[in-house]
Amino acid sequence: MLSAGGFAPAAQNSALQGPVPSTGQGLPVRSDSLKFAVIGDTGNGDKTEYDVGQQMAAARAKFPFDMVLMLGDNMYGRQEPQDFATKFERPYAALLQAGVLFYASLGNHDNQSNRFYKGFNMGGERYFSYVKKNVRFFVLDTNVLDPQQRTWLDEALGRAREDWKICYFHHPLYSDAGRHGSDVSLRVALEPLLVKHGVNVVFSGHDHIYERIKPQKGIAYFVAGSGGELRRGDTHPSGLTAAYFDQDNAFMLVEVAGDELFFQAVARSGTTVDSGTIRRQDSQTRATQ
Amino acid sequence: MRSHVAAAHHVALQRHHQRQHATHAVRRPVKRFLGLPLGVAIALVWANTLPEPYFRLAQTLAFGVNEIGMALFVGLLMQEIVEATMAGGALHSWRRWTLPLIAAAGGIAGSAGMYLAYIYGRYEAILSTGWPIGCAIDVAAAYYVLKAIMPRSGILPFVLLLGIATDLFGMLIVAVWRPAAAAPGGGAALLLVALGLAGAMRTLKVRAFWPYLSICGPLSWLAFFRDGLHPAFALVPIVPFLPHEPRKLDLLADPPDDDAVHHFEHEWNTLVQVVLFLFGLVNGGVILKGYDTGTWALMLAALVGRPAGILAAIGLAVAAGWHLPRRIGWRQLVVAAYAASTGLTFALFFASGILYTGPMLAQLTIGALATAVGPLLAIGIARLAGVGRFSRAS
Repeated sequence: MLSAGGFAPAAQNSALQGPVPSTGQGLPVRSDSLKFAVIGDTGNGDKTEYDVGQQMAAARAKFPFDMVLMLGDNMYGRQEPQDFATKFERPYAALLQAGVLFYASLGNHDNQSNRFYKGFNMGGERYFSYVKKNVRFFVLDTNVLDPQQRTWLDEALGRAREDWKICYFHHPLYSDAGRHGSDVSLRVALEPLLVKHGVNVVFSGHDHIYERIKPQKGIAYFVAGSGGELRRGDTHPSGLTAAYFDQDNAFMLVEVAGDELFFQAVARSGTTVDSGTIRRQDSQTRATQ
Repeated sequence: MRSHVAAAHHVALQRHHQRQHATHAVRRPVKRFLGLPLGVAIALVWANTLPEPYFRLAQTLAFGVNEIGMALFVGLLMQEIVEATMAGGALHSWRRWTLPLIAAAGGIAGSAGMYLAYIYGRYEAILSTGWPIGCAIDVAAAYYVLKAIMPRSGILPFVLLLGIATDLFGMLIVAVWRPAAAAPGGGAALLLVALGLAGAMRTLKVRAFWPYLSICGPLSWLAFFRDGLHPAFALVPIVPFLPHEPRKLDLLADPPDDDAVHHFEHEWNTLVQVVLFLFGLVNGGVILKGYDTGTWALMLAALVGRPAGILAAIGLAVAAGWHLPRRIGWRQLVVAAYAASTGLTFALFFASGILYTGPMLAQLTIGALATAVGPLLAIGIARLAGVGRFSRAS
């Protein structure tokens, strides 16, 4: 039943047939699974960001995630101490108070010094890696993809022994958005490393839409850059597009349980706009495909 | 009858000379500077039609072209500057440098200020590292557009000096700009060996260039690379040891192929044209919808900040008692400031030295290419202001 890239074809609630939301199937919510949310391009301090924050808190009542991946542009405009309150701490106050940890990557609008902000849990690094249960996360800074970072990624991926390898960074390697779209120069620089080391899933932002890309060389790609900003109607679906939603802000909920990764994209209104399952394949299986 | 024949012969000879002059005027820039635009044009079409194969090739060739090949370009540029500024050279008089240096400082301040003001105004501080790119002047573009507008004006050496001073400043920054480079060190000893060999060759009166370039050059390159300096500048310390002949014409005017030194320079230049073509091919390809804040910042820096800075600095200098070059007025200076607003070759070179693959490089590359409108602005202003060829008096 699985496609070549290990991506379940049955994205039952896909918005691909048109940007019309449908009701969600929910996530399995297993007790021993890793649960997290994904947001990108959030920090504008507008009502949209606060609405998404509220919706995430509401979702957590049913899906108790304890971490959030931030895909960059976590702060727009001025970035003084009071802005961290209005553009991060207040919109996600309910989650922060519940002890949810945010793990940020840097976007083009973020000051590089934001990596020292405690709430972003970056440990002062532009790029870093961490483990949660059977998943190793790799956080990259695609603003400055210097040779040192590529060498680090190559070595860190090579050392990783966890079941799942998930990368996230700001600029998408694949995207069907009209404004930015795929960053092909980054793709040529990064994709060989991701493929070589068997990365399973990549999350990016930058384009202010939600899009799920058909698996590329065994890797599932998501664009989730509408957590605060939105570029309505910006998607130009192509052969790459598996599903998209660009009519309202959205965030993602993800659950990794054993060899399966369940995902759900949720609009600001609370409606599920895409969902599905990814089955993990080891690199040996991929190589034979 | 005889006088008719003589007159006809004279007219024919004049036409022949005019044709020859026109051919030279076109052939010279084509011969010396077509490589880069041609490479850029191919790269742009390729990157926007088949991006993945293009970027794969560009990233494969980038090191060889940008860090090895460009050493020949920088080396030739230094050789020409050394010859033009040595005794008997066209730009020898140091008194002529004062006002252009002041103008260059103004241009750098204007472009950097405008660039950073725009970047910080848009809250994209990450782009601030690109400010030296906004300072770059394509000396060749400035020279040829001014030569077309004011063929025998004293503004030509003025703009050459302004461009050289600005680009030397930018190159100095690019040369040492490698904060993240893992430098193994040990370069100083290698450089000493390279300089020792170059000195020995000079003592032995070696007149050919190639022994200097092929023996001392690689040693110096390795020294720069190991110490974390941009290795494209590897020939700079070697160039003073090369045999020199003063360049009596302006820097970018082709010297006659009348002695061994200039003959080698002609050969060197041919090789550099191949390098510049590859440089344009490797660095000029960008997906056009990658434009963003950095693109506008760079255009504003080059097309607004720099001319404003140059003119303001000259204004201050004149107020402080300096004199403008003879027969040069403010209208000519405005045209010259816009002729110097193109960054193209040097902007791409600085960008490739400062930034890494990715969206920042893409948006600043588009900005660098867009500054190619500078000469058009210069011609438009010259036309409006009646400067040079567009003078209403002529």
